[in-house]
Amino acid sequence: MIIQLIEQILNGLVLGSIYALVASGLSLIWGSMKMLNFAHGELYMLGGFATYYAMTLLGLPWWLAIPLAMALVLLVGFGIEKLTIEPLLRRPGWDYTPIIATLGLSIFLQNAALLVFGERFKNLPYFIEGSGTYFGIRMAYQRLLILVVSVAVIVLFAQFLQRSKLGMALRAVAQDRDAATLQGIDVRGTYMWTFGISGALAALASAMVAPIFAINPWMGGTLLIKAFVVCVVGGLGDLRGAILGGILLGTAESLAVVLLSSEWKDVVSFAILIIVLWVRPSGFFGTKEW
Amino acid sequence: MAVKIDIANPSGRALISGRWLAVLGIALLAVFPLAVRDSYWIHLMILSMMWAALATSWNLLCGYAGIFNMGQQAFFGLGAYVSALLAMNVGVSPWLGIWIGGAAAAAVSLVIAVPTLRLRAAPYVAIATLGFAEVSRIVAQNLVDVTRGEMGLNGIPGMPAITLGGLTINFYARPPYYYLMLILFVVILLVVYKLIHSPFGMALKSIRESPDAAASLGVNIVRFKIVVFAISAAMAGVVGAFYAHYIQVLTPSSVLALPLMVEIIAITLIGGLGTIIGPVIGAFVLTIGLEYLRFLGDYRMLLYGLVLVPLIMFTPEGLVKRVLPKRLTS
Repeated sequence: MIIQLIEQILNGLVLGSIYALVASGLSLIWGSMKMLNFAHGELYMLGGFATYYAMTLLGLPWWLAIPLAMALVLLVGFGIEKLTIEPLLRRPGWDYTPIIATLGLSIFLQNAALLVFGERFKNLPYFIEGSGTYFGIRMAYQRLLILVVSVAVIVLFAQFLQRSKLGMALRAVAQDRDAATLQGIDVRGTYMWTFGISGALAALASAMVAPIFAINPWMGGTLLIKAFVVCVVGGLGDLRGAILGGILLGTAESLAVVLLSSEWKDVVSFAILIIVLWVRPSGFFGTKEW
Repeated sequence: MAVKIDIANPSGRALISGRWLAVLGIALLAVFPLAVRDSYWIHLMILSMMWAALATSWNLLCGYAGIFNMGQQAFFGLGAYVSALLAMNVGVSPWLGIWIGGAAAAAVSLVIAVPTLRLRAAPYVAIATLGFAEVSRIVAQNLVDVTRGEMGLNGIPGMPAITLGGLTINFYARPPYYYLMLILFVVILLVVYKLIHSPFGMALKSIRESPDAAASLGVNIVRFKIVVFAISAAMAGVVGAFYAHYIQVLTPSSVLALPLMVEIIAITLIGGLGTIIGPVIGAFVLTIGLEYLRFLGDYRMLLYGLVLVPLIMFTPEGLVKRVLPKRLTS
């Protein structure tokens, strides 16, 4: 039982690192643009399909296919921001117009994917076969790989936000858009990058779990709602919040599978959401009471 | 549908003509089943009024109170399931069950309204209500013993016959349902209309425009929001209960899932957010329009998505507001 619990906690960490990747993109967008991207789940889905076709049609190895998919989704993110989000910036009702626009996009992309890619679930083989046993705990190498890659990418991403010029511009725009403009920061360009980079992170997450969960047109929907929950629990707009929230939710869900049943695991994460909203609406790291 | 109540136009004349047009519209709706005896068309009109009433309840929140609720389908579905289950398992008459369904939706709405409406930012409300709706869908899917899960509830009893002034009305055919829905529809529209023109509605508007100013003038923002949320949920619940006894089949994915919410948003946006007539026109246009687009089949949702984006980009105030006032005022 103890072994099983530890295994589940490790699985929870793997799942949590995926949540963290997807949620940090959403959080980044909220932080700098103060909007919710409902099409984020579809960027995740497109990342999965791009990886699948890069590996099957082009025959690329996974470590080439994934960056290619990320670059592709980055471009899609640029396009979405340029075509639908930027025109809305000039209009009133910013608190709900992007929600509706991206929701529409999400439905469109989901159904377009259904038409183009078909409804058959697509599977990829494990990137690294086999599994290891450590202290009596078995772990597939694929899951270890997910953990290592997500942690590495999140650390790199945090460094990028901290040190690079673009990262500083992102944070400056997040803090005060007008002041950033006065400093000569290209706010629109920054928004475009924000959208693109968050999409690329989602694509990476999607590609990493593709061998475990099948790729399908609906894969973004449920994940998106989870990622939103992660953001709120951790504190919207805070990277640490997205990471910690992701790990908490992933672990809680994995434990719920053992302790309750797999049908009820989703209810657990939403229950956490409601409790957090009651007790601490700003989440773990959110400083501002919204 | 020539109903036109332009509340955005403050001039008295427009309001009076709006009132007359509303009366005319209701009169036309009242004689419709007598003029058009086609049962299929009556069914379409029932659906249109039903979606119009549901979208109106959502519009009260999003269009007037500035509460971006993404989980209205949960209250619709809750009302539907409560009334249906009461009728099937306990033998409660649907005439009572409809109201119990509405009350249950209002009561449950407090669970989500109390913690989230304290938060000001729209995204928090959107996420919390969306999460709540997902929970209700998952619960309905998992409680197979009670709801039969995704297999759905079949054989929900229809409305039983009632005797009014010596006249017995049987709900065997569609026209009685039509008139019941018409009454619900008119009542819900009237309630929303009266509400937003009352001091309560003014307070709501002030909350949407400037929460800080409203608070400084002594408006208890949170309480107002919670009350209007519960009212809206009750309306959605009653409409949902009607749906249950009219359609007589319920599945979690048809009444509790996100596509229904998308439909509500599309209806409201086509007509115009924050107008009384908007959701009504949107509902009739979309419900009847889609019948002519039947050949699209699976592409229906694709179309919704495709329509929503340019709608919000170019005419967030709705198509109706763009097209109609010019003709009416000239």
